[in-house]
Amino acid sequence: MSMQSIRDGAVSRPRSPVRWALAAALAAFLLVYPFLFRGFLTHIGTLVLLTVIGATGFHLILRIGLVSLGHAAFAGVGGYTSVLLMMNYGLPWIVCFIAGGVSAALMALLVGPVVLRLKGVYFVLITFTFGEIVRLVFTDWQSLTGGANGISRIPPPWPALLDTTNYYYLAFVAAAATVAFSYRLLASDFGRKMDAIRESESLAEANGIPVFAVKVAVFAIGCTLAGLQGSLQAHFIRLISPVSYSFQESLNFLVMNVVGGTHSLAGPIVGAVFLVALPESLRGWVEYQFMIYGIILIVVMATLPGGLVELWQNVVRRIGSKISRGDR
Amino acid sequence: MFTLPVLSQIVLNGITLSAIYILVALGFTLIFGVMRIINFAHGEFAMLGGFALLFLYSALNLNFFVALLLATLAVGAGSLVLEKFVYRRFYQREMPGMIASLGLSIALIYGSVVLWGTHQRSIPSAFSGIYKMGPVFITAERIAVIGVCVASLLLFYVVLKYTRMGLAMRVIAQDRATAEAQGIDTTSIYRYAFFISTAMAALAGGLIGQLFSLSPFMGHMPLVKAFIVVILGGLGSIPGAAVGGLILGLGESFVSTFYGASAAQFISFGLIIVILLFRPEGLLGRKEG
Amino acid sequence: MSLKMMTAAAVAMSLALAGGTAFAAEIKFGVIAPLSGGGTDWGIGTQRGVELAIDEINAAGGLGVGGETYTFSSVVYDDQYTGQGGTTAATRLIEGDGVKYIFGPLGSPPVLAAQAVAAPDKAMILSSGYSPKVLTPEGKYNFRITLSTPEFASAFTRWLSEAHPDAKRVGIIGPNDATGQSVIPILVDAYNKAGFEVILDERIERGTTDFTPLVTRMIAQQIDIIELDSNTPGDAGLIVKQTRQLGYDGVIIQTGGPAIDEVVAIAGPLAEGYTTMEWLDPENPDAAPMVAAYRAKYGEGPINQFVPVMYNAAKLVLEAMKRADSIELPAVAEELQNLSGHPTLLGPVRWGGKEAYGIDHQLMTDFFITQVKEGKPTIIDRVQP
Repeated sequence: MSMQSIRDGAVSRPRSPVRWALAAALAAFLLVYPFLFRGFLTHIGTLVLLTVIGATGFHLILRIGLVSLGHAAFAGVGGYTSVLLMMNYGLPWIVCFIAGGVSAALMALLVGPVVLRLKGVYFVLITFTFGEIVRLVFTDWQSLTGGANGISRIPPPWPALLDTTNYYYLAFVAAAATVAFSYRLLASDFGRKMDAIRESESLAEANGIPVFAVKVAVFAIGCTLAGLQGSLQAHFIRLISPVSYSFQESLNFLVMNVVGGTHSLAGPIVGAVFLVALPESLRGWVEYQFMIYGIILIVVMATLPGGLVELWQNVVRRIGSKISRGDR
Repeated sequence: MFTLPVLSQIVLNGITLSAIYILVALGFTLIFGVMRIINFAHGEFAMLGGFALLFLYSALNLNFFVALLLATLAVGAGSLVLEKFVYRRFYQREMPGMIASLGLSIALIYGSVVLWGTHQRSIPSAFSGIYKMGPVFITAERIAVIGVCVASLLLFYVVLKYTRMGLAMRVIAQDRATAEAQGIDTTSIYRYAFFISTAMAALAGGLIGQLFSLSPFMGHMPLVKAFIVVILGGLGSIPGAAVGGLILGLGESFVSTFYGASAAQFISFGLIIVILLFRPEGLLGRKEG
Repeated sequence: MSLKMMTAAAVAMSLALAGGTAFAAEIKFGVIAPLSGGGTDWGIGTQRGVELAIDEINAAGGLGVGGETYTFSSVVYDDQYTGQGGTTAATRLIEGDGVKYIFGPLGSPPVLAAQAVAAPDKAMILSSGYSPKVLTPEGKYNFRITLSTPEFASAFTRWLSEAHPDAKRVGIIGPNDATGQSVIPILVDAYNKAGFEVILDERIERGTTDFTPLVTRMIAQQIDIIELDSNTPGDAGLIVKQTRQLGYDGVIIQTGGPAIDEVVAIAGPLAEGYTTMEWLDPENPDAAPMVAAYRAKYGEGPINQFVPVMYNAAKLVLEAMKRADSIELPAVAEELQNLSGHPTLLGPVRWGGKEAYGIDHQLMTDFFITQVKEGKPTIIDRVQP
């Protein structure tokens, strides 16, 4: 893992201006996207942007070396909180949205100190179990959550957002804010503490880093992002039910991160595009869609162990070496 | 309801379940212990075993036990192709290995959908007898299932405990670097371990097909159960898988008879959380180094 | 993976996303159904039913409407049996493919989600979801083409109380999913009204295979009737098998979710006496052409219940287009509602639902009580809801 981070740093650091230019180009593309691709593709674009929020949250937890298979459950807590507050108490959307994030954070602060005592694969298993319990509660608490049928006819944040293009821009702002925040966080002093914890907890402890507190904080931040995504997505799809928050969805967050790449923030973004858009593009081959999807997962993992981000780095390196050869 | 007949029926039901759970969980824990791969496609090998048995037993009309043995060996041998082209690339790399096996699981499920369709089928009963011992009912089917499980568990134990190959596997599971330094041929040991693991899953799949039903999606249940059994017993621990399987099988049978199916779900998940918190290495596991 | 391969994959992906271009005189029927996971059987049945109707009209040279001859094709998307899948599939059909007539989804969450996308007047949705919210007075283009539990439960339990006057104690085993949660309370009510007593009401998670503990529980409580409404065909078959193996000799009923062929396939001789309902009388001469076409195209194997249901729905829409002499939504919807009395393979068309839902968009069909006798499904009665 440490070798990878060194290589990662070596590739990206000298190219900082290029990076900013690329980020600006990407932002410009995303801003005009709904005008280039109308209708259904805007719908998919919105879904991708929303997914990026939760996937980034997952990534932050991953950066302290933990895989949470209960991530979707926190999205569910955020989603249900936001929807129930809006539909039962008529609160304005922004209050509900914030409440969605806060509820997920509170839950994370409640559960985190307990589950974070475990590491590695045991953390995976306990978060998996926790997530399934939450899903069962969503399913069985019928008077509140509508049970397995869920809640339908959810109002949009405000009427203008019934239009997909408008919702796209809301999702864009939210996703951009999430990525910018996470970028700053990872580049900060706090981010370096996270790296230290991932590499070796005992070493980090010896260096005076409050390991447990940092872990709880990161877990809470990641889960808050999941909760915010849950809220935004519920008001976009306008229907929620427990299946949307099952273990499968948590697994999807993991797949996004691993397929995209676990060592840089670009990973969950690339992974979200890949995982939301790929099944859609395969949907025409009704019978074979999942078979192809499964095979692609294997091929990507076999050829690009560092995720799709590695492919990009290879391309950059190849172009780089071509340029330097041309110079000579 | 707490009468002797009901209680004996519960124990009998629970033991059948336990036998199958243990069979699945042992292979799952073996692959993790030796190769460090959480094999998400483990349940799909059970599914393939079920379909192999269906073909050999009801299409070719072989004797049930012969068909079961052949199906087990066929899936085990066939899985070595996947070992060579897929799994081998991911040994000792937990994260990519997990995702790749997830991809393989999806590909196998939907490949089977294309081949065999989605409707559930059943392997015709090889044994139709229903015996009544006092007030308790047991079918010849279940007696056979328990018998096959016990026999193969004993065989597994002997192989692991008393053969050089078994010793090598245990050494690799304990400390891979030392094992390689000692000159153990890890590649071929991996292959054996993989064969044993998938063959046991296939055997369990055949028995599930006989007792319950077959469909391309049937692998999900054995996988989840293997997961739980292995957490209960301790990841990578062989006796742990046996104890975990017994607890889960009997526990499920008991709780869902007395308190219903939803209660059984909550109780089993709650139990896992408690065990993880107080003995994260499982009941019989050892601490991760 | 080389750069070239990635480019090729990207191009293929964008082409697939953009979708094919349609001919001017071709009308696309959309199909939304579960094509992955546990409900795949029903999804494939839905797809096949619609496609059989399309084959039939195309083989006849298409449909002449307003001086133009139209041929038909289908666009099928998987909803994974979820609300989100329903939204995505419906959005893609309506926005991407320009579809105006959608068959499916099945199951309440995707149905409600697809209806939200299609509201108020973007597409007609002919679905099969058991939630009462599927039909509302505002949903002028939403139709339900299968009977739902409120329609058939009381007729069925009334029949049951006449057929088994001594049976009193009822135990229900149903799935803990959207269908089970919508349906079972209605069913419990119907049993109570018909003079039965519901003693146990057990919900199982999908994927459970060992039901012996639940059945042991039922037997210990001296249950006379075990009700399996809304279980998947495979689960129902397993429960029947395990129930009989434990020595239960009472009545086994499945009020909703006809699947008798699959139950016989799984439970074998132990399925004897299992009683359920069918939408279609396979002996009915009106069904023969569809059954023959199915055999010719898809071979042997059980014909899923959704094949005749969706075939019927597609035929009804085609008939309404013909009568309206238009392919536009308002005209077709109006004619669809005026089809009462039109003969179909499920009997003459009858629309109901005004009392329960405030709109007459519920297709009412007779159903058949079917029982396994000597290993074969046998129709023993015909019931009108």
